Amino acid sequence: MYAQAFFVAVFGLAAIGFGVVVFRTSSMVRSALALLFSQTAVGCMFLAMQTEFLGVLQIMMMATEMSIMAIFMVMFMMDPGGMGGMDMTHQKRFSIGAGVVAAGVAIVVAFWADWGPVTAEAPDAAMQTRALGIELLGRSMLIFETAGVTILTAMIAATAVAIPVQTTANSADKEDTE
Amino acid sequence: MNFVIVLVALLGSVWLLAVVEGWTTTGRLRPAAPLLSGLAHLGRESIVPRTPDRVFFETAPVLLLIVAVLGAAVLPLAPTLVIADLATGALFINAALAYVLVALIMAGWGPNGAYAMIGGWRFLGQLIAYAMLIVMPITAVAMRAESLVTTVIVGSQDGLWNIVYQPLGFVLFFIAAMALAFRAPFDLPTAPGELGGGVDAEYTGVRLGVLRLARLTLVITLASATTVFYLGGWHGPLLPPWAWSLIKTLAVAVSMLLAGRYLPRIREADLMRWCWTLGIPLALLNIIVVGLLVLVVP
Amino acid sequence: MTLVLIVALVTGAILFGIGVYGALSQTNLVMIMMGVELILAGALVNLVAFWRFLHPESYSGQMFVLVVMTVMAVEMAVGFGVAIARFRAKGSVEMEEAGDLKG
Repeated sequence: MYAQAFFVAVFGLAAIGFGVVVFRTSSMVRSALALLFSQTAVGCMFLAMQTEFLGVLQIMMMATEMSIMAIFMVMFMMDPGGMGGMDMTHQKRFSIGAGVVAAGVAIVVAFWADWGPVTAEAPDAAMQTRALGIELLGRSMLIFETAGVTILTAMIAATAVAIPVQTTANSADKEDTE
Repeated sequence: MNFVIVLVALLGSVWLLAVVEGWTTTGRLRPAAPLLSGLAHLGRESIVPRTPDRVFFETAPVLLLIVAVLGAAVLPLAPTLVIADLATGALFINAALAYVLVALIMAGWGPNGAYAMIGGWRFLGQLIAYAMLIVMPITAVAMRAESLVTTVIVGSQDGLWNIVYQPLGFVLFFIAAMALAFRAPFDLPTAPGELGGGVDAEYTGVRLGVLRLARLTLVITLASATTVFYLGGWHGPLLPPWAWSLIKTLAVAVSMLLAGRYLPRIREADLMRWCWTLGIPLALLNIIVVGLLVLVVP
Repeated sequence: MTLVLIVALVTGAILFGIGVYGALSQTNLVMIMMGVELILAGALVNLVAFWRFLHPESYSGQMFVLVVMTVMAVEMAVGFGVAIARFRAKGSVEMEEAGDLKG
């Protein structure tokens, strides 16, 4: 139990540390990769909490997702390398206040609430994967299918939004790129 | 104990692969060449470029090496000879190898060089092309084994290897594995002759040594994954199980090497087009066919 | 075992707080999305902790985690689509310059 608490705490601290780095550094690639490692640490927390499938899935998904975020940072920021030391923040005091209040309330609730009896033994990892699969294709099938359709919709919507509007002015460019 | 054995096997395979690579490039068989060039890397000057992102620059080669070893950790050499027999082994190897991308982006961004950066971001495009072709064939393999545990996957191929059961999946996985290991013809992030070495360009001395070791380890890891998922792992007559695993792994690694030597480098837009318009439909077809086979054939 | 639960919940709460700070304070659309990702990561930690320590017999908890991961992916895809369109039209994705979206 103490070993588990130790590992959860270590990975939790790593997640928080990298999470802080995300908004402390002015290099955008560092910022995106710090977020990546923060999410990886969250995945490791799942592993430490014996939720193997979700942990591995989190670690796998976030690597790609945050790398893509990194390239968008480089594309859309004025100073992606952070060499100029630009200030990219606004309403700082309000934000810090909001963040501290949000975290504080959640922590107080975590300590205050009566969580009732806590289960010591987690199900076996192989059993978990199996039971999750049965849940996915059984009772929660509709939710799972909805999630899939949502992703499809998002893909179509994102592509539709991102495709440049075809005008006579830029249709000549398109001929070149094809 | 298993950990040490697997590491030694990994290092030995890397050495053999490096010898074969030298043989096919220079035409001379020199067994000591990889060791000598490794030692030479230690002695050479380690140049750090001007205004690098020091953290990324130093971490990237080590991360690539760690990722390759982590990927090998779930692949069994023999029924009990595996570092971690995870309940989600087939998913874990995907998770570990996803960080190849992260390492390459770090190696590309870190040295503050144009060629390196283009190489690093190019690999992101390459990942978008090959990622589905890694995951979807593995899905079909897991469907046949009815498990994500790598040892069970090898066990399910007793009698009929997956390369016969799902040849389409094997072809797709083999190509995608070559793209993941950025071997020629998919060596877009390094692209010697076009990007001047790409992500390798700014690395010298010890760091380049680690990077090269990591690349070869990655190839061996992927060859081992191909063996486990498609070539029946340790199954084979006469020889002990671990010997069969090593022979098959090396054969796959060498065939990757040879395939790269006789094919021209593919353009990234073409890679993306072929992977998405042809590869993914074929991978879906593979899943459907395997699903039907699993249901029909007892 | 309550100790581990509390540790996980506190971590989730702090990640949530950092995310709220980031989403409110950053001026760039992509940075705001990073804040949102951190908020969702905090939520994920809590969900897994609740599943593991309070209801390990009910796999709807893990299902919920999968749905939140889907939401993260969808948020990224649509966010970047909007970012590309905005960048193409106005040449920046800075929030300070996006007052014209008010209508």
